[in-house]
Amino acid sequence: MKPKTNSEKTFGAIDEILAIEDELIPSSGFLAATMERVREEAVTPKPIPFPWLRALPGIVLVAVVLGWCGFELVRAISTVARGNSAATLQAFSPALVHWPVANAHLQDVGWVAMALGIALFSWLLSRRLAGGSGLL
Amino acid sequence: MRAVTSAEEDLADVNRVLAGEVQAFEGIVRRWQGPLVNMAWRYCRDRGRAEEMAQEAFIRAWRGLAGWRRESSFSTWLFALAANVFRTELARIPTVDVPLEDVAEPAGPALQFHGLAKQQSDDRVRRAVLALPPRYREAVLLYYFHEMDVAQAARTMKLPEGTVKARLARGRDLLKKRFPHLNEESAPAMGPAIGPEKEAM
Repeated sequence: MKPKTNSEKTFGAIDEILAIEDELIPSSGFLAATMERVREEAVTPKPIPFPWLRALPGIVLVAVVLGWCGFELVRAISTVARGNSAATLQAFSPALVHWPVANAHLQDVGWVAMALGIALFSWLLSRRLAGGSGLL
Repeated sequence: MRAVTSAEEDLADVNRVLAGEVQAFEGIVRRWQGPLVNMAWRYCRDRGRAEEMAQEAFIRAWRGLAGWRRESSFSTWLFALAANVFRTELARIPTVDVPLEDVAEPAGPALQFHGLAKQQSDDRVRRAVLALPPRYREAVLLYYFHEMDVAQAARTMKLPEGTVKARLARGRDLLKKRFPHLNEESAPAMGPAIGPEKEAM
């Protein structure tokens, strides 16, 4: 116990009780058990770090697709909002009725082409990531 | 105990471990098992759990040995790491969930059983430390573990000395309020009851 300076507040009884305690002796097997765990740790291979560099193209692709989806969603919402006013216009001009249908077909083709493109890209990317493992 | 621990031995063992000699870690465990188990005991007052927590601290030390930057002594680094492990463990599974106000204050002891009653009374005070709010509890635990050395407790907690002193004072004030009889007792009266324990240190 270190000697107290005069400036230190004394807590006599509390200090006496808390400073002095029986010393606990570690059990006889403690050292062996700890070293056993250390040896296990030593032979366990270190976890493989996540391949950020290889995953980067995929992450970028996902970000682009999500961004594009968000953009499309916003555009769709604004289209629906404008639809209410367009419906009023179509009531006066029947020729305009067929234009949105044809436009919708074109949009469907675009979606299918994009889905196929993404599938192809992800297949090529996975081949590249797997490298020469022969898995693909 | 800690005085005889050689810093050179620690350094040599660390270097050997880092060079790939796993067995050299045994020297570190052998030298520090006592202090770490005792430190853990103060955190939880459960022998079995104290050994588990001390073992976990050694494993973390093993994993992070390369991270010891040698700016501080090995013991300072080890104690700080152990305190962090014990803190996390106790946050995960708390030892005591009894508020300080609910900790029983010991009744006045009968004369014939004075020694035993004193021991039980002291034990209640020690356990009451675990019921302190965590920030005060750790300051109190480490201050007394480090033989009333504020600077060393501050290094273990990685806090400025002033902060530790303030927390320590607040923690001890709370204990004093909870156990007012400690203010009335005079230190010499406690001498015989704690004499043998002192010898054990």
